[in-house]
Amino acid sequence: MSTVIDVKGLSVSYERKRVLSNIFLKIESGNVYGVIGPNGAGKSTLFKSILGIININTGAIKVFDKEVEEVRKRVAYVPQKDEVDWSFPATVIDIVLMGRYPHKKMLQRLDKNDHRIAEQALEKLGILDLRDRQIGALSGGQQQRVFIARAICQEADLFFLDEPFVGVDMTTEHKIIEILKELAAEDKTILVVHHDLATVDDYFNKVILLNQRLLTYGDTTEVFTRENIARTYAPQMQILQEVGMIDTLEK
Amino acid sequence: MEILQVLSEEWAIRALVASSLVGVMCGVIGCFMVLRNMSLIGDAISHAILPGIFFAFIIVGYSPLGFFTGTLIAALVSAAAITWIQDNVKTKNDAAIGIIFTFMFSLGVIGISYLNNKQGVHLDLKDFLFGTILGISNEDLMITGMVTLYALVSIVIFYRYLFITTFQPTIAQTMGINVKLIHYFLMLLLSFAVVAALRTVGIILVVAMLITPSATALLLTNKLKQVLFLAGLFGFLSAVIGLVAAIAFNTTPGPAMCVVATTFYFLAVYFSPSKGLLYKYIRKRKQNQQIEKEDIIKYIFKRKEESHITDIADTLGMTSSKVKSRLKGLRDDGLLIEDRGIISLSAKGAARADRLVRAHRLWERFLVDQVGLEDTEIHEDAEKHEHLLIHADILDQLDAKLGFPTLDPHGSPIPTKRLSAKNPLLRMKPRQRATISPEQISADVESQLWELGLSAQSSVQLVSIDENKVTIKVGNKTKEIPADLAEQINVS
Repeated sequence: MSTVIDVKGLSVSYERKRVLSNIFLKIESGNVYGVIGPNGAGKSTLFKSILGIININTGAIKVFDKEVEEVRKRVAYVPQKDEVDWSFPATVIDIVLMGRYPHKKMLQRLDKNDHRIAEQALEKLGILDLRDRQIGALSGGQQQRVFIARAICQEADLFFLDEPFVGVDMTTEHKIIEILKELAAEDKTILVVHHDLATVDDYFNKVILLNQRLLTYGDTTEVFTRENIARTYAPQMQILQEVGMIDTLEK
Repeated sequence: MEILQVLSEEWAIRALVASSLVGVMCGVIGCFMVLRNMSLIGDAISHAILPGIFFAFIIVGYSPLGFFTGTLIAALVSAAAITWIQDNVKTKNDAAIGIIFTFMFSLGVIGISYLNNKQGVHLDLKDFLFGTILGISNEDLMITGMVTLYALVSIVIFYRYLFITTFQPTIAQTMGINVKLIHYFLMLLLSFAVVAALRTVGIILVVAMLITPSATALLLTNKLKQVLFLAGLFGFLSAVIGLVAAIAFNTTPGPAMCVVATTFYFLAVYFSPSKGLLYKYIRKRKQNQQIEKEDIIKYIFKRKEESHITDIADTLGMTSSKVKSRLKGLRDDGLLIEDRGIISLSAKGAARADRLVRAHRLWERFLVDQVGLEDTEIHEDAEKHEHLLIHADILDQLDAKLGFPTLDPHGSPIPTKRLSAKNPLLRMKPRQRATISPEQISADVESQLWELGLSAQSSVQLVSIDENKVTIKVGNKTKEIPADLAEQINVS
């Protein structure tokens, strides 16, 4: 087990509105992390900050002890499904092969080996028979399997999944969780933004409780308690009061 | 023959080659514009290049290379200005495009008019608005050829980058691809295409050559590589056919190319194999016919008395000729038997109707129990859904999820799932012998057999199969068995 992500003092705001506030976080390999918090808690923003695709206000983030730009190949991202143009003329295999792009030099073409790896990923997700289908012609569960297959095909060591179970059938959900646990067993690291509190115990061995601030994180068995959940989902007013109280105490 | 002679002249060949190059290039580049929702940018850039003509003329006089350079600079300046406003000023994207292109276009018109009035220069604005393909020079042709070659080669080389940044820019970013750089690169290609197309179709219609062939291709296939190829092909065909037609009928080539491209587009709209309106219409019609047929068998199934065409037509609100045609379809499917105007269901038809009733009532149960609707507001929805449910395998799942209910919300019984016999009596041939199998599909079938005086290992011989009954011989007695029961009796 080693430290995969080290976040120090991360703050992000959009148009003067603070989304993430002074986050300190160490993510360790071989775990499946559930990132839990209410809407607007900054879960996706945390992902995008670590992935280096949005501007951050303050803070230092290291991934595998380096800047994320240097380790892009090892990091795979499965964004929320509503960010996808489903009418796009792309087939399943086209999309999964995208996972090979970071392994290629500028003018290098995809070869047989890349196709073999892509097909293995499809096989693993049980959708090899859909390889030539257009992405919009699939069910919600099948679509999500395609994007997971792309992440697998990338042969990454660190995975970010943003709400992967929205609009997905139960069979697919279980299949994906099974695969994530296998990956963790190979000492890879997975972070999942998740909404269904009832399944957290089963799905994740670590949780991160987030609501603009980091409330707490650690082993699910220790950290995912009724009290902590209540604190995470407490109305924003109450949090402000808490912060205000701390401020007054300090004065 | 005359047209062939005209076409073999040098100016005509030059025009043909130039316009087909432009057709291919615009078609291919246009795909990315359409897929990135940037169609309007193509139109904007084409209008915005006009001041380039004015400045080039002032600096180097009348020269194709001068015009090319001038317009290219104008295109890039406009693209940069639009992008800058979009990134830095709180003006909506399409408003930014509108502001810049009308401004640049106006500058161009003012400049060219000024030159014409003051210095007696002959620069015809119309030539730039609608193209002058018939007067194209060798130098023009060279420039067009080089630009096309450059655009196509770079699209092949950077295909991967164009695909990923167009489809999922965020993913491209996480893979370390410079999305902005690819965007500017595409803007450069777009500027090339627009500048080259200036001579063939003119400023106003460039956007047609960019959008129409690619929109056509997108209706025909779901693979990006095929889309690019087809868009190039349609661009090429539109240019060539348009030009030849324009020469033959002595009219303006640019608009003719646009009309041809649009004709291809509407042909695709109607006749595309999977996305075309014709295909959708045929499929919809088939579905409607299926629904009408299923409504008919359900009607016959539920009615205790004999059914006549006029009853069916009246109750279901169809014309009697339509009923006749659906009945013929049902007979062909083997679901229906018609004898001297009296209509009845075959065993297969009865089974289908039974399944429809089951679907209808289970769905009503679902709407009341799980969705929470009142039992007065569910019938119409169930009428629609039963036709979908009977073709799906989810009916049994729905049954299980609801806990195998026996009554629908109105108190009518829900038919249970029909198990089918592995080797049914109904499938025997006349004079064939068999024994009643000890394994029957349900206790119900067993008790009905018992009532008929048949038990396991009884040896039977089939005499005949009629419309709705089967006659068998047991020993020397003849027995009649209803066809739907015969379908469920297992024999060996």
